[in-house]
Amino acid sequence: MNSFSIKTENLSKSFGAVKALKGVSFDFSEGLLHGLIGSNGAGKTTAMRLLAGLLRPSSGSITYFKDGKAADFAEFRPGLAYMPQQASLYPDLSIEEHLEFFRALYRLDAETYARRSAGLLEITRLGKFLKRRAGQLSGGMYKKLGLMCALLQSPSALLLDEPTNGVDPISRREFWELLYGLAADRVLVIVSTAYMDEAERCARVHLLDDGTLLASGEPRAVLEEAGAAGFEEIFIRRGKGAER
Amino acid sequence: MNITLRAFIKKELAQTLRDVRMRVLLFGAPVIQLTIFGLALSTEIKNIKLAFFYAPDDVMARRLEGDFYSSGWFKPVDFTAGEDPLELIVSGRADAAIIAPDEGLARSSERGEGRVQLLVDASNATKARTVETYVKTIISAGWAGKGGGAANPPPVKLDVRVLYNPAMESSLFLVPGVMGMVVCLITIILTAMSLAREREMGTFETIVSAPLSDAEILLGKTIPFVLLGLAVTALTLLAAYFFFGVPVRGPLWQLALGSLVFIITTVSVGTLISTIAKNQQQAMLGGFIFLFPAILMSGIMYPVENMPTTVIAAAYLNPLMCFMRILRSVLLKGGEAYVFWTNMGALALMAMAAGGLAYNRFKQTLD
Repeated sequence: MNSFSIKTENLSKSFGAVKALKGVSFDFSEGLLHGLIGSNGAGKTTAMRLLAGLLRPSSGSITYFKDGKAADFAEFRPGLAYMPQQASLYPDLSIEEHLEFFRALYRLDAETYARRSAGLLEITRLGKFLKRRAGQLSGGMYKKLGLMCALLQSPSALLLDEPTNGVDPISRREFWELLYGLAADRVLVIVSTAYMDEAERCARVHLLDDGTLLASGEPRAVLEEAGAAGFEEIFIRRGKGAER
Repeated sequence: MNITLRAFIKKELAQTLRDVRMRVLLFGAPVIQLTIFGLALSTEIKNIKLAFFYAPDDVMARRLEGDFYSSGWFKPVDFTAGEDPLELIVSGRADAAIIAPDEGLARSSERGEGRVQLLVDASNATKARTVETYVKTIISAGWAGKGGGAANPPPVKLDVRVLYNPAMESSLFLVPGVMGMVVCLITIILTAMSLAREREMGTFETIVSAPLSDAEILLGKTIPFVLLGLAVTALTLLAAYFFFGVPVRGPLWQLALGSLVFIITTVSVGTLISTIAKNQQQAMLGGFIFLFPAILMSGIMYPVENMPTTVIAAAYLNPLMCFMRILRSVLLKGGEAYVFWTNMGALALMAMAAGGLAYNRFKQTLD
């Protein structure tokens, strides 16, 4: 079991008459790189926001575990980082100013900040652009800066909502390299994505469609069980079934 | 009708009317404006607080006093014999004072020396001019009504003493008003838009997901605007002093403390608006919905005293009116303690109420 993990039980969330999540049970206790896979409107962002404590469930429960024991969210929260889907940086602030701001939010001392920011700038290769404003960064660099801000607190659990959305293929590959590195450092990473090819990069996948969980498990096992050649096929079959 | 045109009309109406806040703006704001303009605002100056000093046995002065209060323009001020007329004006309890001669108005008039002194608060120059005109009119009308004839001048002469603004310059009255208005506008709009902008940009999600308390986020978001508001106040004060010759007759600490508490109040109001608004456009509109009546009912342009009693009661919940009173008192009248502390108390209560409401409404969730 991971040192930081999360489990949900019959998790539901409604916004007025719209049911965004319909009794979903996730288990993020085994494997470090999880993918929430689904098309737009499947409920991925709602699930991420619920896990990050930004929304309250309409019903069901979320249990956080720290060092194998159930923990309050308040206890879990300092080790949790979240990167929203929407552009969530300040266009008028430079990379350096962003790092300084997030350093203050996470209350890092000068030495820790210097060490972590140097390390992050090296792996993201953004060191040359410290003075460049976020509004002037390319899509890939922008996402990397968002990830750097989230990682500055050295989290034990990281939630990334569609981090590679709108990013070119090379930047996407670099981004995934960063995530592999985090998983290798025993960080629980939960990534939501609508790109089916990214599902295969995860240790565990959770297929979401219309607020319900279609399948969970290791990518190969999920495909074998569904008898599908790829994840797209599972969703297409489901769509055709719904039409009938 | 052209199908494209019809589609546009339908789309625009649906977009506008589906949003509750837009419906409030569309149908609520005109009602508020009509009520204020129709019922509350008047350029005619009434309810002037007048203290009339005369000897107990001065029948002529008593009759003249009756003429003043029955005119509908003046209302009596409670004071005790022996109080200083000047003090009544300094403290704001009276707008004007008339002092009859000690020997009695009738006796001094018979000798051809019938003089009454009029002390008038000219921190509002327009009001002071009107008071002087009213007083002259009433004295002349009273004399004419008692058989003196309109052609002959009344035996009572008026000795006018204009306080605080002897040259009756309108700028001395208006510039402090505009100062208060500018500070109010900037702090409310900037603060209201700040949190709304975070929401619109998505950065709000990042901030609330960080391990921070509500108080830390709210203070972090509002303190910069308090500092900016203070800087704008200092700037407008310097401009008022150097360009318009507005004096600073009261203590600077009153000005600084009054400005600080006022800005904390307006920033709290701005924060409260931002907890209701979904986006910057709504925050801006919300700010103006508050500012419009606040400016009209502040006494900057229209005297609050002329408004109906219920509207006056509402005006006391207006931070801009309290700040205006502090500003004019400190700048023009020397900063009377009673005026300062009563308005400061009201501002502090408003700051606590608005700040408390904003804090309660602020949630670190996106629900």
